[in-house]
Amino acid sequence: MRRKIAEIRLLPPLAIARLGSSPYPLVNYELKTPNDTGPRRIVPAPTIRVTRTTGHAELKTPKLPIEFRDPAGRIRPVAPFLELWMRFEGEQNLQPFTIDTLRSLRLSPASIRWRGHVENLKILRRTGDEKDRIKAETRPFSDHKVHELRGKCPNFLKGKSVPLGSLQYIVPSAELSGIRLRFTPAGGHVYGPPPSKADKDPLIKAAVYDGQKGSWKRYSEPTDTSQAPNQGRFLTSPPLIFAGETLDAGQPKQRLRSWGYFDDECDGIVEAELRLGSHSLFAFARIVAGPPTFAPDSLPIRSVADELEQAMFGPNVDKATLLEAAEIVRCALETVRLMNTAEMNQEGMARADTDIVKRALEPIFEPSVADSVAIRARHERILLALESGSLAWFARMLRHYDEVADFSTLGRRKMPGLMRGADGMHMALTRRQVSKIQKAAKSY
Amino acid sequence: MNDKIEAKNLSAQLQFRALGNPPSTLPNSAISNCCPGLEMDFRNAWKRIFVGIELHESSNFVVKVDPSAPELHELANNYQLMKVQGVPVMATATGPLIPDGPNVPLPDSDGDDALIPLEWSNVLAGVIYNSAGKLVECEFQSMDPPVRNLAFNLRVRNFFENAVIARDLLKPGELTQSLCSPWQNDYRECGCFYWAASRPDYVNVELSEDGNSIGHNWMQRDRTPETAKVYVSDDFLDERLLSYNDLFNGWEKALRFVIGNEDEPPIDGGPKK
Repeated sequence: MRRKIAEIRLLPPLAIARLGSSPYPLVNYELKTPNDTGPRRIVPAPTIRVTRTTGHAELKTPKLPIEFRDPAGRIRPVAPFLELWMRFEGEQNLQPFTIDTLRSLRLSPASIRWRGHVENLKILRRTGDEKDRIKAETRPFSDHKVHELRGKCPNFLKGKSVPLGSLQYIVPSAELSGIRLRFTPAGGHVYGPPPSKADKDPLIKAAVYDGQKGSWKRYSEPTDTSQAPNQGRFLTSPPLIFAGETLDAGQPKQRLRSWGYFDDECDGIVEAELRLGSHSLFAFARIVAGPPTFAPDSLPIRSVADELEQAMFGPNVDKATLLEAAEIVRCALETVRLMNTAEMNQEGMARADTDIVKRALEPIFEPSVADSVAIRARHERILLALESGSLAWFARMLRHYDEVADFSTLGRRKMPGLMRGADGMHMALTRRQVSKIQKAAKSY
Repeated sequence: MNDKIEAKNLSAQLQFRALGNPPSTLPNSAISNCCPGLEMDFRNAWKRIFVGIELHESSNFVVKVDPSAPELHELANNYQLMKVQGVPVMATATGPLIPDGPNVPLPDSDGDDALIPLEWSNVLAGVIYNSAGKLVECEFQSMDPPVRNLAFNLRVRNFFENAVIARDLLKPGELTQSLCSPWQNDYRECGCFYWAASRPDYVNVELSEDGNSIGHNWMQRDRTPETAKVYVSDDFLDERLLSYNDLFNGWEKALRFVIGNEDEPPIDGGPKK
């Protein structure tokens, strides 16, 4: 008896692509975490090499060193794959959907149909004009051609669009039998309107935005939002984060006026449909295209993975391992080793506290202990001696989420130090990260 | 290649790394102290967490109300969310107004006590986990005088469909909508240099004779082994640093990778010193 498929899923649920204009995507690699406090090692890992013209693919392991840019100096885009997984009725486990699965169901690769929908809403978020929505959708496809995600917008010049990347259904084979889709992001280019005077704006890849139809080139924000509270409440946070020029400089009603620039970042959804004759099964995943990681052997101390994990499992853990706590400390070390902490202590964060809430301008830590080398050494000592009680000290030093607006001397010295959170205040880890460190500290 | 994952094991699915995908495709490579963020502004994920209203992505302002919920329409007139299930979602900023002074409530730009909206991820962590799909009491206050208070029981949306952020929580384009435009602006103008994995700050660092560190600003044009190790402080007018224009039309050759604490050599065709 033929088994029935209960559901399909696309994995990973959120795939991050990274911009780059090279036609040759970045190969795969592993980050090997050392036993000491040194940087993670980047080592080659099995890479799927795709022939763009046909969609055929082969598995290769690249050689060292991993090349993050091509010989022409262009950055290699990170172009993630999304795999189709499935679960048979009556089973608990998901398993990869392969050409063998297709055969067992008397289906062909064409029984899988893909579609993609991404948008870039950066202009719309500011102007509020629905005609500033940049949208790219593919038609449903089952072939193995490259399907461009061409961003179209009612306020573009006639016939113009911007490439937001592409999707390609990889041809399954004996070697790579899984059903997979690849998202290749765009080049990381800047677009805008035609210049008013010169023939060509050298700063943009192409002139596509029609400044007569849309307001993005005329859009402005007050540099002092208290001058325009009704508009200020709805601006991005922080405001003024677009390319432009200052109007009425030095006046109370000074504003930043947009040059009409935007980029080819995007996010959205890819969907797989498995057509089973009488009915179809669907699965979707999210894709995002952002900038490259310029220190790819480092990881951020608080990441989107931490947000997702907390949203899924709540703010508390029952238990945590030393390894989990060590990874958080290592990420902190990776941040401070590339950060001028003395500068942030005297200027960056310290000055921002005064600008935001009129706190007295003072260094956050004693300047004598805030130098980058000293702070790095302190983090290294904590990482090396987690079992000897330093984790308990670290746990006590952590800032809790409801202490982020404590600008007292002691409040600003809690950990993570010299960093800003998503609310613009001094940063706290997720409550779940804090819980992990506290639980691990109690266990050792 | 993984050959099986328990369907209920959503954690494994969240962390799943597909064959051939580099580590930088994973959510743990993307920053989430988003102000506004680099890869995405994750704050947008929370704005539709309560059915019937849409919140500002980085604040507690109600920016939209569902037209099919007439009982909520008053909230469209400049209201902010104050408490959820009795838990305040704002905190008062406190600290010294003068050096070594007492800790007092600090003023905002209007001179009022600065009430700071806490980030949704942390302040709502318990609500999202314990009350997804359920009604919770939400207390609102008008932002314009006279102060009016309203309370409604709103349903908390499910954050996930399996392990994917739910469709009705976040529409295409919304994860990136509040990032810099263009994204290169964030590399030039943001005064926060702690996104080391994506945007290093301090490179070629070594110990000087006085026991303090010396090194280069990652945005310095001139960064060779021979370049004097003097960190040039951020100033967009300083020509020793990369400019907006350098990044808009030449970011790929202007921004250099830092691997194993080693600064990549200058790229042919990159910006001049």
